[in-house]
Amino acid sequence: MNQPKSNAIETTNTEIDHILATEEPLLPTSGFLASVMERVREEATAPSPIPFPWKRALPGVVVVAGILGAGVFEIVRRGLPAVGEITLSVPQISLAAVRPLEQAGWVALALGASLVSWMLSKRLAGR
Amino acid sequence: MTSTPQTASQRAASEDLADVDRVLAGEIAAFEGIVRRWQGPLVNMAWHYCRNRGRAEELAQEAFVRAWRGLANWRREGSFSTWLFALAANVFRSELKRFPTVDLRLDEAPEPAGPPTQYDALQQRSQHEALRRAVLALPASYREPVILFYFHEMDVSAAARTLGLPEGTVKARLSRARALLRSRFPHLENEHAAMTFAEMNPGKEA
Repeated sequence: MNQPKSNAIETTNTEIDHILATEEPLLPTSGFLASVMERVREEATAPSPIPFPWKRALPGVVVVAGILGAGVFEIVRRGLPAVGEITLSVPQISLAAVRPLEQAGWVALALGASLVSWMLSKRLAGR
Repeated sequence: MTSTPQTASQRAASEDLADVDRVLAGEIAAFEGIVRRWQGPLVNMAWHYCRNRGRAEELAQEAFVRAWRGLANWRREGSFSTWLFALAANVFRSELKRFPTVDLRLDEAPEPAGPPTQYDALQQRSQHEALRRAVLALPASYREPVILFYFHEMDVSAAARTLGLPEGTVKARLSRARALLRSRFPHLENEHAAMTFAEMNPGKEA
């Protein structure tokens, strides 16, 4: 670990160096080794973490992706004419045309939030 | 017989290697040898990061447990101790970021009113402790090089290896850290003329 002190930089014998370099070493308490080994044994005997059940979750993931895709498709399908109407004459937009679009937006938002929370929980569980 | 006697560090390195192999072969008890050999350095290293005895032992314990979990990831390119210290530094850094023990700004670090008299050992001790605590108030990028430089017995290359930084970067950060400490403790700026480094550390080369 120790090498010749050619790289022991310029101010080797300042008061600051002296104070910081000459601190009394701290001895671990008598139970430290035992407590570390106890934790290591606990770790060793603990069952391995349950892997995420991808096979079981796959249908759900496919369904969610399908719904999300359908939602986006619906937004685009309904949204484009609505946008066209807006540019032509704003007051002509009927409430009936806006409501499904709004609902689809909420669905997409909810799905997005679910996805984010799932990714976050997975990341936290993986730490 | 022409075998040269092993130095203490070589002996420790070969013991580490043997213990790691035994642990990886499933012998949990062999990890005890590793803990026994490195508990002192790791607790001391943690102490320098937090200056709280109980917390230092908690941090060191966490580092040992992470080392246990990641033992198979040690690539054996460097020494086991280098890997262990680097892992411990990461653990201490992240744990102390989550739950800091010292919330002190450098300009708030207490500075004793005047230089101690020859017989005022207590005041001198408090002055030294103030300086050591002020290290924890340094900006994070300067704090770690200082902690590891003194922990590694003033060896820049060992500190650089532990931090995974180039030596030049560590030297520059040390220099900046010293400047900050000197500005906070101007009366310590003078050379430690009364006693040379060699006299203070008879076992070390100056």
